[in-house]
Amino acid sequence: MTFYLSGIGSFPKLWKSNQVWQGPGHSYLCLFLTDFCGIRNQQRWFSLKAMSPQNTKATDLLIAKARYLKKDDSSNKQVSSDSSHFFLAGAAKKRSQMNPQSKDHALPPVKNTIELPTKPLNSKEWDKLKEDFKGKVNFESWISSQMAHCHSSVDVAKSLLAWVAAKNNGIVGYDLLVKYLHLSVFHKQTSEVIDVYEIMKARYKNLEPGAYTLLIRGLIHSDRWREALLLLEDIKKVMTPSRKNYNDCIQGALLHQDVNIAWNLYQELLAHDLIPMLETLKAFFDFGKDIKEDDYSNKLLDILLYLRNNHLYPGESFAHSIKTWFESGQCSACGKNIESINLSPEEYDFLKGKIMRDVIDGGDQYKKTTPWELKRFKNFVKSCPPFDIVIDGLNVAKMFPKARESQVLLQLVSQLAKQNLRLLVLGRKHMLKKSPRWRKDEMEMVREQASCFFADNISEDDPFLLYATLHSGNHCKFVTKDLMRDHKACLSDAKTQHLFFKWQQGHQLAIKNKFPGSGITFQHILSYDTVVQTTGDSWHIPYDEDLVERYSYEVPTKWLCLHRKT
Amino acid sequence: MSISVIFLRPFARFLVPFTLHRKSRNLYSTILQRNMSSKIPSLSYSTKESTSPPEQLELDGWKTTMKSSVQEDVSTVSSNKDEDPLAATRELIEMWRLLGREVPEHITEDELKTIMECASKSSKKKYLKYLYIKEKMKKARQIKKEAKAAAREEFIKSKLLETTEEDKQQNFLFLRLWDRNMDIAMGWKGAQAMQFGQPLVFDMAYEDYMNRKELQNTISQLLESEGWNRRNVDPFHIYFCNLKTDGAYHRELIKRYGEKWDKLLLTATEKSHVDLFPKDSIIYLTADSPNVMTTFKHDKIYVVGSFVDKHMQPGTSLAKAKRLKLATECLPLDKYLQWDIGSKNLTLDQMIRLLLCLKNTGSWEDALKFVPRRKHTGYLEVSQYSQEFIDRMKKAKTFNSLSKGSLHGTQKRWLK
Repeated sequence: MTFYLSGIGSFPKLWKSNQVWQGPGHSYLCLFLTDFCGIRNQQRWFSLKAMSPQNTKATDLLIAKARYLKKDDSSNKQVSSDSSHFFLAGAAKKRSQMNPQSKDHALPPVKNTIELPTKPLNSKEWDKLKEDFKGKVNFESWISSQMAHCHSSVDVAKSLLAWVAAKNNGIVGYDLLVKYLHLSVFHKQTSEVIDVYEIMKARYKNLEPGAYTLLIRGLIHSDRWREALLLLEDIKKVMTPSRKNYNDCIQGALLHQDVNIAWNLYQELLAHDLIPMLETLKAFFDFGKDIKEDDYSNKLLDILLYLRNNHLYPGESFAHSIKTWFESGQCSACGKNIESINLSPEEYDFLKGKIMRDVIDGGDQYKKTTPWELKRFKNFVKSCPPFDIVIDGLNVAKMFPKARESQVLLQLVSQLAKQNLRLLVLGRKHMLKKSPRWRKDEMEMVREQASCFFADNISEDDPFLLYATLHSGNHCKFVTKDLMRDHKACLSDAKTQHLFFKWQQGHQLAIKNKFPGSGITFQHILSYDTVVQTTGDSWHIPYDEDLVERYSYEVPTKWLCLHRKT
Repeated sequence: MSISVIFLRPFARFLVPFTLHRKSRNLYSTILQRNMSSKIPSLSYSTKESTSPPEQLELDGWKTTMKSSVQEDVSTVSSNKDEDPLAATRELIEMWRLLGREVPEHITEDELKTIMECASKSSKKKYLKYLYIKEKMKKARQIKKEAKAAAREEFIKSKLLETTEEDKQQNFLFLRLWDRNMDIAMGWKGAQAMQFGQPLVFDMAYEDYMNRKELQNTISQLLESEGWNRRNVDPFHIYFCNLKTDGAYHRELIKRYGEKWDKLLLTATEKSHVDLFPKDSIIYLTADSPNVMTTFKHDKIYVVGSFVDKHMQPGTSLAKAKRLKLATECLPLDKYLQWDIGSKNLTLDQMIRLLLCLKNTGSWEDALKFVPRRKHTGYLEVSQYSQEFIDRMKKAKTFNSLSKGSLHGTQKRWLK
């Protein structure tokens, strides 16, 4: 029973290879479900054998094989110190930890004037406690929120309410009731939840979403779970229920074996443009273990497609659930190839148009450039044959604060030019002015080896970079360390942003040297797309590990690979 | 207590489920009735026996009183129950208020409608908080006003007692007409400025970039700017350029100024500033400009964009100036101030006070005292500034020759 993941193909020139997964020598992550109904030892399935692609041998191989990389003694060290790829989960965290400036902002401890009682008090004791309390706010609401915060036992809270009611003709305020409800939901005291529910129904015609949410969460475990659905309807009268509300209701329905209601709620949730919680989806998979219907299976596959289309990644436990469900013999589909990072021609053209319209133009050409400059740039790009690499001159040159800008740029350009690549260097006009940082002779040599375009000093150069790269075609890469998040944000919808991110992962060369001098090396380019995918009879599902923090511009490194038994 | 999981088929809601307590069973059936036919007020409550579950320390007693004490209340509420979303929203706000959330106590129909129109939950909450704060401030003002009125009455009473004792004649040179005299004098100065004053343009072409709130803030700032200008020794001649008649700006200005709008001593025009003045004498002031303002020039026409930008649209005014090929400048904030927090965009009234001060004294140190104190930690020695500037130059990505030119200029200026 092996579950291994090696991987990323080894090809001579990283960006020239379009057929990523076709080569015969490629073994890739496969989990052969040879014994379908065999031992379900989940621990073992998900043992540490799941390797992340970037620190396996494959990476070393890649680096060695990539021809343009100058081999040097430090390359091994580089690999180990730079095991975090730009876009891979946890990388940003690692980078920030290397930065000594980061401080952890520890919150000052909450000022606690009195100790919370640990067992029910009688009214005298409460009176005394109230006298001891010094604070501006109302004692009852303060103590109840403290109890809710510290998860005191229900009985203590109940004694508080009894005391308040005794003082107040048997009336307990709404806020105290809600906090009590919170406690009883937290401690899963269903009978208490139902009691409070009765009280609230009796006293108030409508509640507010906070209380509804708590009631729903409390009621779904009881046999009166259907009333949770009525409460959901009540919320809908005033606002869209949250995805948590839907999650609770769906969980409740599944808990009570009512699959149809659960699916209807799920459809409703999607119709509201809410992104379902991963718990919700996990619940469907968990429930699916016991159901043997094609209809249900298809719906679960739809969920997987939903994950794919929205670039969502399951968490570790959700991945377990998916795997368990597949193992249970419900899987009807499975296949072979992992998708390449390259965009399809239609997607490519679409992205190119969008970048032009939203990022460069953005409704006002004067914001980032000027119309005449844009025209000059377009003519320039048209007049040149397609480039192989587009370089963000300023970003590259500023990489090493101690070295001279023009020298760094020249080093990179000549290194790449030696490989007969057609280069484009983008910069600003001030780079041409003679200054100690920008030497004329070095810039002259740059211009000899590469085409150059210099934008106005107050124009932005990144949009030009994006456009020139996209214009040159799919083989063209760009060099910058910029994460381009601001440009991604300019794109109007999430779908285009995903496209952009995918393209960026496949075409951005980030320099990973920390010191100038030795040859400049690039981070390898991810050749595969990290997304939930299927190819007929296999599923590949990237998932988030529980202990790794992933930023929005990073992708998971762990995969769940499922093949149908043949 | 253990939760019993029961398999319920779709029709199970009409069945009375099996429960352990007789009490809750009774209750359940009544609730079901209530839910299925909400029009019928629940009558079965009074027949409910109040056998509370076994208890320690008298913990559950309050529940029965809570349930029983409000039966009438419920029936009256549910009898006039209507499904109006407005009413439901009102109810929701009331419940939030009980919970101690930041929502207003009283709310008008219009405000309710605005809430319903809010696209998202958070915008609803934001608007409610805004109303809450508004209401609170109004109340506080009311209380203050009452206290003041009471104090005045007291004062007058005591004064009356005093004046009865001594009613001596006093000689005065002037009648007490200060305010009116001031107004007239300011009017004279304003008329003079209309004829001979240096123009200062407020560019009103930003209507489409702002939402309602930002627009209102802009108008408030314009009002205040105009006030500061009026009171100055040597006012500017203010132009409101690109002011569309019946546009949002225009409407709001008329609403705020009332009848005074037609008597204001300033020029409001639909024309653009490039039509009114020669292009090469216009300087557009924008914080995004690469050029730093070194001195105030008395022969130039400064343009300030009337634009409150809370949505982060950097470069909007720079784009406008670029489009018209105008010279741009920004204030030398970094040169004189140790900047701390906040954006370099100043409010319009701060701008005009700063410009007025520059016009009259020419001293940057004096003029920059109008920059809010919270935004900087103090004035910079200029030598310190140039050192910092050089350091920054080395680091900055977008160092360009323009700012460098200005650096040399300043050094020379301060060395002599």
